[in-house]
Amino acid sequence: MKRVLTTCPYCGVGCNLYLVVGDDGRLVGVEPSVGHPVSRGQLCIKGWNAFHFVNHPDRLTHPLIRRGGRLVPASWDEALALVAGRMREIQDKHGPDSVAVFSSAKTTNEENYLAMKLTRAVFKTNNVDHCARLCHASTVAGLAATFGSGAMTNSIACVEQADLFFVIGSNTTEQHPIIGARIIQVCQNGGKLMVADNRKIRLARLADLHLRHRNGTDVALLNAMMHVIISEGLTDEEFIASRTERYEDLERLVAHYPPARAARITGLTPEEIADAARLFASADHAMIIYAMGITQHTHGVDNVRSCANLAMLTGNIGRPGTGVNPLRGQNNVQGACDMGALPDVYSGYQRVTDDAARAKFQRAWGVRGLPRDVGITSTAAIDAAAAGDLKALYVIGENPTLSHPDIRHVRTALQNLEFLAVQDIFQTTTADLADVVLPACSFAEKDGTFTSTERRVQRVRRAVSPIGESRPDWHIICEIASRAGYSGMQYDSPDAVMEEIAALTPSYGGISYSRLDGPGLQWPCPAADHQGTPVLHVGKFARGQGVFRPADYRPPAELPDDDYPFVLTTGRNYFHFHTGTMTRRSRLLHREERFPYVEISPEDARSLGIRDQQWIHVGTRRGEVRVQARVTDTAMKGVLFMPFHYVEAAANLLTINALDPEAEIPEFKVCAARVRSTP
Amino acid sequence: MGRPPTRQQAPAPLYRPVPCTVQSVADLTPTEKLFRLVREDGRPFGHRPGQFVQVSMLGAGEAPISVSSSPTRGPYLDLGVRRAGELTGLMHEVLAPGAEVGIRGPFGTSFDTDAMRGGDVLLIAGGCGLAPMRALIQYCEDRRDEFGNVTVLYGARTPEDRLYKDDLAEWSRSPHLDCRCTVDEAPPDQQWDGNVGVITTLMPPLEVDPQRTTAVIVGPPVMYRFVISELEAKRLRHDQVIVSLERHMKCGVGKCGHCTIEHLYCCLDGPVFRLDEIIHLKGAI
Amino acid sequence: MKSLTLQQVQDFLRSLTSDYDVQAPIALPDGTRVLGRLDEGPLAIPGGRVDSKPTSPFFPQLDRIFAYRRGSIAMQQPVEKPLLVVGLTAEDADALTFIDEFFAAEYRDDVYFNKRDRSAVIVVSGRCGKDGGFLKIAGGDCDLEFVCDGERYVLVPYTEAGKRLAHRAPEGDEVSSIADLQAESDALPDDDRQVLERASRLLQEDRVPEEFWAEIADRCIACTACNLLCPTCTCFEVFDWTRGEQIERYRLWDSCQLAGFMREASGHNPMGEEHVRTRRRIHHKLAADRTRWGRISCSLCGRCDDVCPSGIGIKAVTREIVRRFGIEKENGPET
Repeated sequence: MKRVLTTCPYCGVGCNLYLVVGDDGRLVGVEPSVGHPVSRGQLCIKGWNAFHFVNHPDRLTHPLIRRGGRLVPASWDEALALVAGRMREIQDKHGPDSVAVFSSAKTTNEENYLAMKLTRAVFKTNNVDHCARLCHASTVAGLAATFGSGAMTNSIACVEQADLFFVIGSNTTEQHPIIGARIIQVCQNGGKLMVADNRKIRLARLADLHLRHRNGTDVALLNAMMHVIISEGLTDEEFIASRTERYEDLERLVAHYPPARAARITGLTPEEIADAARLFASADHAMIIYAMGITQHTHGVDNVRSCANLAMLTGNIGRPGTGVNPLRGQNNVQGACDMGALPDVYSGYQRVTDDAARAKFQRAWGVRGLPRDVGITSTAAIDAAAAGDLKALYVIGENPTLSHPDIRHVRTALQNLEFLAVQDIFQTTTADLADVVLPACSFAEKDGTFTSTERRVQRVRRAVSPIGESRPDWHIICEIASRAGYSGMQYDSPDAVMEEIAALTPSYGGISYSRLDGPGLQWPCPAADHQGTPVLHVGKFARGQGVFRPADYRPPAELPDDDYPFVLTTGRNYFHFHTGTMTRRSRLLHREERFPYVEISPEDARSLGIRDQQWIHVGTRRGEVRVQARVTDTAMKGVLFMPFHYVEAAANLLTINALDPEAEIPEFKVCAARVRSTP
Repeated sequence: MGRPPTRQQAPAPLYRPVPCTVQSVADLTPTEKLFRLVREDGRPFGHRPGQFVQVSMLGAGEAPISVSSSPTRGPYLDLGVRRAGELTGLMHEVLAPGAEVGIRGPFGTSFDTDAMRGGDVLLIAGGCGLAPMRALIQYCEDRRDEFGNVTVLYGARTPEDRLYKDDLAEWSRSPHLDCRCTVDEAPPDQQWDGNVGVITTLMPPLEVDPQRTTAVIVGPPVMYRFVISELEAKRLRHDQVIVSLERHMKCGVGKCGHCTIEHLYCCLDGPVFRLDEIIHLKGAI
Repeated sequence: MKSLTLQQVQDFLRSLTSDYDVQAPIALPDGTRVLGRLDEGPLAIPGGRVDSKPTSPFFPQLDRIFAYRRGSIAMQQPVEKPLLVVGLTAEDADALTFIDEFFAAEYRDDVYFNKRDRSAVIVVSGRCGKDGGFLKIAGGDCDLEFVCDGERYVLVPYTEAGKRLAHRAPEGDEVSSIADLQAESDALPDDDRQVLERASRLLQEDRVPEEFWAEIADRCIACTACNLLCPTCTCFEVFDWTRGEQIERYRLWDSCQLAGFMREASGHNPMGEEHVRTRRRIHHKLAADRTRWGRISCSLCGRCDDVCPSGIGIKAVTREIVRRFGIEKENGPET
């Protein structure tokens, strides 16, 4: 028996835990890490069960190659040569931008860095992206524009220093449970809680003020709150004067959002909005916490900017216990962004359009002709594949046939490719469409680092041997690079990759494995003697002055009408993670939520004659699925909620492929739907 | 309840399923099948009416299933199984005559036939509750002279949903039993000339001698409260009422913890309880 | 009685590894203390209770019951080398005694006793708690106890196995009595125990209303850690995995705080509501087990309070129960 300290592979909180390895070399459990500053020996149910899927019999154990229409076992040599060869071949024929790589928020920093290096240095295209496109692309864009850094401004420890939480579009106790539970504890001891979310989530039950505004009306709500704060003189004038610019723009715009107007848009009362404004402005330490409810909209970037505006207006930024705190959904979605698995930046958000940055990476990588044009996003890549412009795709640890909007469109697009390679730990529905399937190691079988939502870079450690013939993603990516004729990606270990990352990435400059034996380091950590940065924008914003970028309210792309009278909003539940490949193979997690379901309000259920647990159909203009009705007052009248984990009734068969114009994030949170109770 | 004075220690190892063979399979309803099993080693199961067994479908796990046959009929087990979850679904799909299936048990308490002896018995079953009740009815039939009046009431959702239709027909004809059936609804496409209404509609006309009657109730959770009130109206005391409760179980032997009712384990102290032992416990009925 | 230095204790335990699978408190890199083998990390005898579930050597999170292959079943066998579990506290040992009885009752659970039979348990107590605290002396519930007087560990055997173990210990100083340490142990405050007893009585008298449980349930995020780390929680789930030609049956720690715990295949769920589950967690330990087994099954180890992310461990909840429902009612005529 042995125990290996590692980082949880689920959400972005970054809890540490010990994997317990039995005498037969298989994982037999999890034990908490009491000394870790974030988890402090506490875990959520996913963490407690994080060992379970690793040894599941369904793990992919050898490479597969499509022959005669079927995926059949093949050797690594064959599979790797095929991937490198086909990608090259297609590029020779159709140009470098005819291929794209989807990197993964589940894999390590080192692997994301290598995936982006492979894409840029070897395939000479900037067509690399990952699922941040689907979750926090709006944050990266919105906060970079206002503050100069697109990440959680504060630390998880700040929760205990806040005296008010404004939780908007985050079901914190289910999606970031340890943070959610800490909020509960603070509120038990007198902290104030304001929840803006029309689902009556657990935090809403405990809130001092629960705002059940209509989906997609956040900008109107936030603008009206700022209207009240300004008109009642509750702003932090000194902060505005000394730390920000373009305040007049905000003043001018929010003047058009008196509570009465916002009330009509949001469905709240003017009093509720004014109360929210006063409560927020009255706090010394107000923490804004948001997640997908803010970002997954066609106006996601506007939502983010509006949150940033509210924080600056009241001086709630740059101090402990305050800040604009986007909670990142995946274990390493922060890191995947940091590593430049994005079409417009290298690691550390160094822009591909910047000549100096390009020159720097060319030099470091020993290549010439790094592409200067921004690549395509993963959402755009699907459209490009459907249009026939994109010919080949290498997907690492992502499952777009379940995670992207309008998956019928996604399937058509992927089937239209000349070549699809998928690298994963289980045979996903995306892998079902692949020409080559590469079996990867899980988090328990490899070394590396993840970066948590609070920018904490921490170690992932190998606890067990690779299952079957599976290999670590970093190893596979490097093998493909070699086979594609590039000699600059040969590393003995992820440690060596991190050295290269640190050398090329200012915010990771001081990070090395020798410094990560403890609880990790929070970036920016520019030098080997730098202790990391728990709170951003102290004294000065990353971009110098904070800038107000006010936004007008724009309605969602598709609103209910006579044919589709409901708003359908989608998300996760507590027990499952994303496309369910791991959690649905973990006994207890699967048992808890076995069936696809839709939450529907008691009023709507009554008027449609629907009983709890009855199987019903939910449809939109894109398709229809059969799910169990969950009649619950969590749901507001007129709104349906569906989790997107279930392959047998995929919520994303229903969602709309409408994108935010800047971040190209899809509007997973609003589309028009109808319900059919006939069997 | 009918617990032997000293519990026989189950032969170690406790969790080893005993290999059994499917002797026959019959359709009971569109969603229920009857499986008849014998032990491969030919030995009797040693079961008593009201007990259950843990059925093991290798690869899908185990589930508790009530025994539907009385030991007085022979050394086989009848299991009437509704297709409900993964395991029962698999039983429906793959178990054909000759197939092997693992059994642990029988476990749990049985209907206390010793205590019922000499008196009238009123057996009230709803839906799947007829599965364990059938074992008791068979027992009463086979030891008919030990009991006074034997009355069977059975309620199902629709005529088609009735379990053990052949048995019901036979019991209705039998001079030794008074068997009455009802259905909640009788859709026009299903032939039915019997009573329509919930099971309690069968009760007011019954003549029950509260001095010498034991009532037994087995059915879906919603049924108990209503039937108990009717029995109370007939002046039966709670210690004259026997119920069999269904709970989720994983081990069947009082370890896994899934079937507790306050301090009781449904698998050890039940599934058959005397009503006065449990009526005050939260969540029991 | 022998009295050993910490170094001698460590050497002694090492010497026992030839005959025993020794699992003792080990300090892991981040300071977590768990029961582990001596080669897993530095031995950390002082420091009080380990952070992991102390009964896990006998009842691990995941345990294979059998493997089936081509018509034959290979049941789990008794461990080859008997376990020697060192470093339980008095509370942990008390909990172990409880689950020994539980697993032996009615049907003997051989999967548990495959590990527990032939094993030996050593409690560590005295002046070696966390931050210099005094650990209650068990005085039983184990084979051997190491009672620390601040510098040395006095070996107090309680069973034949304990005597044999003590006999094998190196010759250290001889101590004739631990009376002073026992007095110190006896003088430890028992406030928590009193609160627990009062809460237990209030629960047995059904004086804690549903609304209270609903309030606590609102704060529960269903992490299940209270159950998973509780030394007397024994609930498990059973599942099969098919791996090629082999079918493996496992049991896995389960939790009554999960909605699926009692949900039946029909969808009916006697514990479908959050407040019912929250009540069960406390009620089972303090009232149901008291009725069934004649004792409260919480030994006040404190793990659930430490590990609960939202502050509703058993100590916190029982304090709340006593505060809100205890005071004057307890002095009523019926008590």
